[in-house]
Amino acid sequence: MYIDPHIHVVSRTTDDYEAMQKAGIVAVIEPAFWLGQPRTEVGSFKDYFSTLVGWERFRASQFGIVHYCTMGLNSKEANNEPLAEQVMELLPLYVGKEGVVAIGEIGYDDQTEAEDKFYRLQLELAKEVDLPVLIHTPHRDKRKGTIRSMDVSEEHGLDPKMVIVDHNNEETVKEVLDRGYYAGFTIYPHTKMGSERMVEIVKQYGPERIIVNSAADWGISDPLAVPKTADLMRKSGIPEEHIKLVTYQNALTAFGQSGQMDEQDWLNAAPLDQTKKMSGNSVLRGGQTPRVEGKSNIVEN
Amino acid sequence: MKNQLISYLTQLLDTSANHKGLDWLNKQVEKISSEGTPSKFFLAFSQASRFFKKEKLTLSQDKLAQANELATGFQPEHWDELQTARTVLMLSYPQEKVAWFAAMNQLFETADMHEHQALFAALPLMPFQEDLIPRAIDGLRTNISLVFDAIALNNPFPAKYFPEANWNQMVLKAIFMQRPLYRIQGLEGRRNLALAAIARDFAHERWAAGREVMPEIWRLVAPFVNEMYLEDLKKTLATGDDLQVKAALLTLRESAFTEAKSLLESYPDQVAALDMDAIAWESIGSEFQRTRV
Repeated sequence: MYIDPHIHVVSRTTDDYEAMQKAGIVAVIEPAFWLGQPRTEVGSFKDYFSTLVGWERFRASQFGIVHYCTMGLNSKEANNEPLAEQVMELLPLYVGKEGVVAIGEIGYDDQTEAEDKFYRLQLELAKEVDLPVLIHTPHRDKRKGTIRSMDVSEEHGLDPKMVIVDHNNEETVKEVLDRGYYAGFTIYPHTKMGSERMVEIVKQYGPERIIVNSAADWGISDPLAVPKTADLMRKSGIPEEHIKLVTYQNALTAFGQSGQMDEQDWLNAAPLDQTKKMSGNSVLRGGQTPRVEGKSNIVEN
Repeated sequence: MKNQLISYLTQLLDTSANHKGLDWLNKQVEKISSEGTPSKFFLAFSQASRFFKKEKLTLSQDKLAQANELATGFQPEHWDELQTARTVLMLSYPQEKVAWFAAMNQLFETADMHEHQALFAALPLMPFQEDLIPRAIDGLRTNISLVFDAIALNNPFPAKYFPEANWNQMVLKAIFMQRPLYRIQGLEGRRNLALAAIARDFAHERWAAGREVMPEIWRLVAPFVNEMYLEDLKKTLATGDDLQVKAALLTLRESAFTEAKSLLESYPDQVAALDMDAIAWESIGSEFQRTRV
């Protein structure tokens, strides 16, 4: 069993969902983020947030995967201040909903004044509703941005164990772990981490508070990054209990602090009934038969 | 009315011995009804999931009868504890029309899947029902079966209020999504010629594609059987499939068409074994759901 605690499944296909389920992924967390281009209306945020707790959650369930999400205003779009103000008014409508496991992903992108302002406001919101925080660390000037994220979080009095600092690398991991935070690692080709580097990090730092994710989205990315990295760890001789911690248990422990994520949600779920898929839903439109075998040149009736 | 409903629903929750949940709920009801600020209401509506589970309610015969007296067709035996608690919160919000719609519209627009389920299933308990018809019709455009079911199944609202075109669209979509038709309230009473023709077209489409036809659809045809439908029913009988044959025979039995009567006479044993109409259709529908869908 694996959890992918950071994946933007709204941009993935049903083939991905099938492959993820087959590879052993039982639950995913979809952090609210941007869509590859900036939104210009608050209504776009509203409908996006509603999708995360509505259609996408239902869609995932059709493939036997439990879908959770985090809610927040991302750092890139925090730079449109008038719009960001409106999004902040919208957030209280969503943060209390079932299956919302954190405020996130929030933090810095260009590390501007506006980003700082909305990051701080959302740290306060997280405290108010007692939810964990998922921090997105910047791609550029990463080390400084990561340290600043933690400094500001502490300034607002958040307990490091309630905070997951994501997208770490070899340059940031030590300080993040030393200060008591959960350290997320994103296995994302070219821009973030590769599986082999991840194996080395677990060898060096051990499994405690380390969390592996794919952050798969609309870019070149891999929704199977978590199970693939677990396999590589196995081949590299990392003990099974360590693999379980970094690809399952630590994510559950960290985000489970929300009270909104429970192992029973998938262990006790009704068994995936393929015939049920056919009936009530329209992922498989009326009368379509769910594909059970491998790909074929014939489209099934 | 609203207070009677709140007290009735709270009693249903009381049997589950969830004292922590009930205490929380009573406090929220007090706050929401006295302050009338939407933000507290929205938060409580969402956070009800922290206090109530999606366990089906269990109702005594008395309580079942009482439900129908409070709102004709109200069937809380299909409800769970969480949606019951959310309905209590919804009913507690002050029912001043302009403010009520402002809050409700926002709630509908930002609801998650289970919140939608609670809201739509509670339509027959809401105030200003005639103004909610467009909301219900729009709700049926969902592809989430849980939400579709909350409106279409075991809910008196559509049969009572929907114009014919919308009613027919709902029934057709239920057929398309293979939902149990016997759970649509008022199905027989609102059968119409246009819907019978739609059902027939759908059956032909399924046959053309080599797919099974849901036997319950012939119930829609029964009052309108003529030469054309008779051919379809013969084809259905010829499948030899137990559920299909039963459905065709029930349809023929209800029909006043002379040739339907004579066709029926060639199946004396099977006809003798048929239950009363409503029971027989329900058993066909539930058997089809259980084994074929």
